[in-house]
Amino acid sequence: MTKEIRVNAFVSTSPVHQSPGLWRHPRDTSLAFTDLDHWTDLAQVLERGLIDAVFIADSIGFNDVHGGSVDAAIRYGAQVPKLDPFMAIPAMALVTEHLGFGITGNISYEPPYLFARRLSTLDHLTNGRAGWNIVTGHYESGARAMGQTGVVEHDRRYDIADEFMSLMYALWETSWEDGAVVADSIYVQPEKVHRIKHAGDYFRLDAIHLAEPSPQRTPVLFQAGTSPRGRAFAATHAECVFLSGPTPQTIAPRIADIRRLASLRGRDPADVLIFAMATVIVGATEQEARAKLAEYRRYVSTEAAVVIFSGWTGIDFSKYRLDDPIPYIRKDNAVTSALDVFTVADPDRVWTLRELAEHNAIGGRGPLFVGSPTQVADAIETWIEQTGADGLNLSYAVVPESYADFATYVVPELQRRGRYKRSYAPGVLREKLYGAGRSYLPASHPGGAARTVAFG
Amino acid sequence: MNNAMPREIRLNAFTSQTPVHLSPGLWRHPRDQSRNFKSLRYWTELAQILEEGLFDGVFLADGIGINDVHGGSPDSALRHGAQVPKHDPLLLVSAMAHVTQQLGFGITATLSFEPPSLLARRFTTLDHLTKGRVGWNIVTGYYDSGAKALGRATVTAHDERYEVAEEYMDLVYALWEQSWEEGAVLGDRASGIYAQPEKVHTIHHHGKYFDLDSIHFTPPSPQRTPLLYQAGASRRGRAFAAKHAEAVFVAGPSKRVIAPIVADVRAQAEQFGRNGRDMLFFTLMTVIVGETEAAARAKHEEYQRYVSPEGVLTLFSGWTGTDFSRYPLDAPIVPAEVDSAVASMIESFTVADPGRVWTLRELIAHNGIGGRGPVIVGSPEQVADELLGWIADTDVDGFNLSYAITPESYRDFVEFVVPELQKRGAYKTAYVRGTLREKFTGGGRLLPPSHPAARFRS
Repeated sequence: MTKEIRVNAFVSTSPVHQSPGLWRHPRDTSLAFTDLDHWTDLAQVLERGLIDAVFIADSIGFNDVHGGSVDAAIRYGAQVPKLDPFMAIPAMALVTEHLGFGITGNISYEPPYLFARRLSTLDHLTNGRAGWNIVTGHYESGARAMGQTGVVEHDRRYDIADEFMSLMYALWETSWEDGAVVADSIYVQPEKVHRIKHAGDYFRLDAIHLAEPSPQRTPVLFQAGTSPRGRAFAATHAECVFLSGPTPQTIAPRIADIRRLASLRGRDPADVLIFAMATVIVGATEQEARAKLAEYRRYVSTEAAVVIFSGWTGIDFSKYRLDDPIPYIRKDNAVTSALDVFTVADPDRVWTLRELAEHNAIGGRGPLFVGSPTQVADAIETWIEQTGADGLNLSYAVVPESYADFATYVVPELQRRGRYKRSYAPGVLREKLYGAGRSYLPASHPGGAARTVAFG
Repeated sequence: MNNAMPREIRLNAFTSQTPVHLSPGLWRHPRDQSRNFKSLRYWTELAQILEEGLFDGVFLADGIGINDVHGGSPDSALRHGAQVPKHDPLLLVSAMAHVTQQLGFGITATLSFEPPSLLARRFTTLDHLTKGRVGWNIVTGYYDSGAKALGRATVTAHDERYEVAEEYMDLVYALWEQSWEEGAVLGDRASGIYAQPEKVHTIHHHGKYFDLDSIHFTPPSPQRTPLLYQAGASRRGRAFAAKHAEAVFVAGPSKRVIAPIVADVRAQAEQFGRNGRDMLFFTLMTVIVGETEAAARAKHEEYQRYVSPEGVLTLFSGWTGTDFSRYPLDAPIVPAEVDSAVASMIESFTVADPGRVWTLRELIAHNGIGGRGPVIVGSPEQVADELLGWIADTDVDGFNLSYAITPESYRDFVEFVVPELQKRGAYKTAYVRGTLREKFTGGGRLLPPSHPAARFRS
């Protein structure tokens, strides 16, 4: 039996996620992102395709690199505005039974005590289907929205994140023992509930957790660190890692490195599930898929793509004309990998800004798999083999059509090849990912270790 | 008041995401479903019952912290599930909204602990997802245990909490009312313009407690500012309500306690240039009703068998700040010999029978259900009489209806009391269309010009 390919759906609560301009497509429903039905419909489409989890991106702050202001991002809806990603989840959980939820929450700005309760509540209400994508605040505009004078320097953000995590583990794993809730003659045995006292470099807390232990205790932990410090963090904490790059060569070494780092930390490297971003455009035939892509491309907004590209690279491309060649630029303290990967992938080619922007305008920084079901399945299998990833973080061109197409065309083909589940595994999200009996974090994980140390 | 046409009674269901809200011990009743508070289905079923009964809203209580007055530790609260554990009420809304069309949601959130731009985004998101059915019950953190949980030494002093709250409100009003102009979002497929940046404004706030330079993260929702609830009974809390609240939650055992609060807040609202009649007052009430008085009384007696005395004292200890574990359950209470908080609590519960000497156990037996509010027991006609009497004598607009057991108390109310009130012309027979604010005020979906938030509009 070859290894099962995992698939998450990668979305955001914004009119544009990775495919700028495509909200104008007549079949795209992105503009309905403020409607609850948009989210419950999407959840049902995803569950029909046996998608493991919906991964909802978020960030506190805005892309204001292009032209030095947020105006261009607002004009094109380029990841602005953004709703709170948690709020629609309970309704999505109500209309599904198995779909997991990987929701982005920002440790730089959320008060730990309340954040821990929010995730515990969600894990209860979803019967153990909650996941948390751990991010730190990297936008200056986000820092200013939170009353801070500037973004905390990159490596220190991860030091803060490490402390935040230890606080989360204390609340989730060690405040309430298993069996504390009896709900018999009494509701809780108080001697099995423990006060957490924490006085660290960045946080203080002295309280019992306000929520009783949820089915998974700690939600499934997602992370997307690309930098060396981010990778070390992922190797320590993450169960699911999300990364993106246009070629197997760009991401295979990062995947290997994260697994190696996890292993050094005493974790089973196979316990870190890696999801690489990809977009699939598929039809009954290759011709149909190509026609669909051509049709989608007509709705790409080059201007919006340039805005997003400016945000990724930290380079203000408003200063360049669309058809001028882009010189080799390097900028050290932003997300530098975006520009690097293109020059690395095809070092001899001279790109114009228009070409670069449009190249990434459908599906962002990941590969685009276009073709018949067989061709797409081949491409996915090859990609998985060459990268060592466990699955895909599936972005979309047109929503929900891209996911409906994936369910209709690609899922049966992957199932036929024994590479995709035919039904969801029972249990909580962690059990669906790792097997029965794995409701909680294992002892090899720092969260599981905290519980083991506390209760044996 | 015009007797021929009684004013419409407003109803919220008052509950929270805990095993015990105001009736300790009753989670052990065989028909009670409180233990399912962690299940979405429990909440969606409740929402459907309430909408069937044309309830205006569900009002979800919350408080960051744990009642640790009784015995000086959280142990008693834990043992009885007395408002602990307590889960995040915001996460119930979208699922309840999915199974209803008109029901409103009044959600408690503690401004003392939530970063303003994130709280503002959360409520805007919910107001979008519910198509304008969201209200925010503004509370300030009052538990010391909550302050410690948030890394602070103690809770901020009461009056200063309200000073912080005033600044907080200015900030969230600016985000909700000012940042995105009407018509900023075009979503124009032809031009490819999603929104017009010249109509989206950065809010610059640099105050004593908060700093912010940002646009609001989300475009304006149907109501922009969610419907504003408040529940402060203190002097400072009443002034805050008079200035900001559109709906006020009050609680007290008798009309005599409630009427002056309502009159005072309405009068203070006028001083802020608002119409005191624009505010809706909801007073805490528990109703136990059956087809006949005898059936209701039998039900009440049956419920009382499940009351947990220690659980009740735990709640009362928290409310009064007095540790009731120090008093014997079966000794007569001599008001002169107990401290003043206890004396006033006893006084408030013994208005019906002032000459009697009570033991703590007897007090609990009589007041163990429904917290600090009265319990009405009777036939549909008796309950309707009593409710209408409350409206007439206190000038409240309606009730924050607590439960003895859930969802049975709500089902009974919908089955027995709602038709009786409708028969008397005192209760709606259909929802008014529109946002929660339109339903409550009969006005528009936005705050009126007389409200302090209005000055933030461009």
